[in-house]
Amino acid sequence: MSGEGSIAAGAARRREDGRIGWLFDPKLVTVALASVAVVVAGGLVQVSFGAYSMTVGEAWRAVLDPAVLLDVHWLLSFLLGEGAMRSLTGFQGELPELAHGTLIVWNIRLPRVFVAALVGMNLGISGAIFQAVTRNELASPFILGVSSGAGLMILLTLVVFGGLSAFLPLIAALGGAVAFLIVYAIAWKNGTSPVRLVLAGVIVGTVFNSLQTGLFFFADDIGVVQSAIQWTTGSLTGTDWDQVRMALPWTVVAVALSLAGSRQLNLLLLGEQTAKSLGMSIEKVRFALSGVAVLAAAASIAVAGIVSFVGLIVPHMVRNLVGSDYKRVIVGCLFVGPALMVAADVGARLGMGVITGADSQIPVGIVTGLIGGPYFLYLMRRQQNMGEL
Amino acid sequence: MSTEHADTTRTETTNGPDGSNDADASAGPADGSAATDATDLDGEDLVLGYPNAPEPVIDGESIAAEPGAVTALVGPNGSGKSTLLKGLATQIAPEDGSVLVDGEDVHAMDAKALARKLGLLSQESTSPNSITVEDLVYHGRYPHRGFFERTTEADAVAVEEAIELAGCGHLRDREVGSLSGGQKQLAWIAMVLAQDTDVLLLDEPTTFLDMHHQMEVMEIIETLRDESDVTVVVVLHDIEQAARLADRMVALKDGEIRARGAPEEIVTEELLADVFRVDADVVQTENGPRVTPLRARHE
Repeated sequence: MSGEGSIAAGAARRREDGRIGWLFDPKLVTVALASVAVVVAGGLVQVSFGAYSMTVGEAWRAVLDPAVLLDVHWLLSFLLGEGAMRSLTGFQGELPELAHGTLIVWNIRLPRVFVAALVGMNLGISGAIFQAVTRNELASPFILGVSSGAGLMILLTLVVFGGLSAFLPLIAALGGAVAFLIVYAIAWKNGTSPVRLVLAGVIVGTVFNSLQTGLFFFADDIGVVQSAIQWTTGSLTGTDWDQVRMALPWTVVAVALSLAGSRQLNLLLLGEQTAKSLGMSIEKVRFALSGVAVLAAAASIAVAGIVSFVGLIVPHMVRNLVGSDYKRVIVGCLFVGPALMVAADVGARLGMGVITGADSQIPVGIVTGLIGGPYFLYLMRRQQNMGEL
Repeated sequence: MSTEHADTTRTETTNGPDGSNDADASAGPADGSAATDATDLDGEDLVLGYPNAPEPVIDGESIAAEPGAVTALVGPNGSGKSTLLKGLATQIAPEDGSVLVDGEDVHAMDAKALARKLGLLSQESTSPNSITVEDLVYHGRYPHRGFFERTTEADAVAVEEAIELAGCGHLRDREVGSLSGGQKQLAWIAMVLAQDTDVLLLDEPTTFLDMHHQMEVMEIIETLRDESDVTVVVVLHDIEQAARLADRMVALKDGEIRARGAPEEIVTEELLADVFRVDADVVQTENGPRVTPLRARHE
């Protein structure tokens, strides 16, 4: 044993790293800063342009309007809803008047950016978890039947149970979660394995997708069909503070749980045998982590529908940038996910206007698909072997 | 908490379940202090198979690893030696029979508690390419840590000792994906050593390694044999290596244990003919028996 010196040095180095030392990894910090820059830039574009056009300077002033930022009542009524704000603070009077630009920015345009960011975070961590659990880097948040279950429930609600459409977000998220449980039950045979889980996901997905397509025939109203397509391709049109309020608490829970589970995720990457021989209760951990991933996916489905590709490519990009340590991967996803989603939503909201001059929006899921496809092509060309993590 | 874990393990090792260890030690050959602290590993009437195979590979065999010593499992391809090891490591649930660590049934034990007593180095281990050797070795501390715990002094000490013993200090900041096969094996060995278990199961640790790394691995096992109380069970392909390393050898063929005993009793021309189906010359040298295979037997 060359002994004491090296032991002390190693221990000291680990202790320095401590609980948050790993956050200051230069690569991770760069990724986070770049992502924040993209989100801010995309957000500024989103708040500046639209039917009511402003200059960037006006948009800045509206976003940073002290009448909102320094008024706890306005902030709370945005974040929690006006009713909750009143009962919480006991405030009875009228909320102070806001300038026209501020009102548009804070009521309509800014919440959409926030929703995009939350959706991006959720899809990013959800995909990251599923990729570790299935040990397959082609896994996405929707691989274990989540999207098909949610899609089917969306169609059923819109076409058959029209009266329930007020609860559509919840029903969609619930459908995703139930489909995930079915997939798990099908895959279970003295325990599960990544391959069995993926295959069961394909089985459930095939059946549910057929049912979904079948339901389209029973839709007699073009409006219903358009609404269904919006939900099943993922769209942020018309999202406001309600959606922020709906997604935020679940996002916080999912982020906290996935950060807490990052060491388990790291261990899963060493393979089932090793994880088991190190004393991990594989089945419990796998189910719990999948549950967290489904929660995150459901939170994003509830506000934006099924946005494809984000959950697939975000963990990919992050892993290429910061390495495979899942603590860093999860944190990276919290930044890169919003960046991608906010940028894609700029395209979804304003793209058609730029290209055709028409004043229409397309679902953001179409834009993410258009970004995601080429990105994967690029990866496929560059990397020899893809697939297994 | 983690230090407590480490301490518990250590105390349990010294005390053992009441009596049983001392009895063993006094019954066994006078090996000195080594045998008193070491842990028993017993497989009793094990029936082991794979879900899709109709017949079990091992059909009712018992094996007892000598506490604090090295037991080598040898046999031809398909003889069931790796299956037996996986059964002992609880990677395969036995259809019948039980595995006991210090008299305690492993299937009744908590997974983490078991992983503090029994470590396994699998034949194929996969890891993400970009993980560093040091981070990999720290994963060996998993069973000693609670859910939210950070690494402690005890973890750091165990990791440093493991890296030292495995001789991969010069690799610690390298990414595992950039290592050669032999270097990878040393990193993985360091990881199971960091697990700090009383029993260590190694599945063909030298196969596919170049000569230098085979010797490195052999030397690690020799150090464990001579300087620690760890009970080692190792599957080896090379019978000469096995004879050189092991205190006891167990020879398997077709899922049956055909012979067990000291290396010089096992490595004989008769046994090579019977178990390995080769005619061979066996010469005893100071480095253990030397086996020169002459021809394959066809009968």
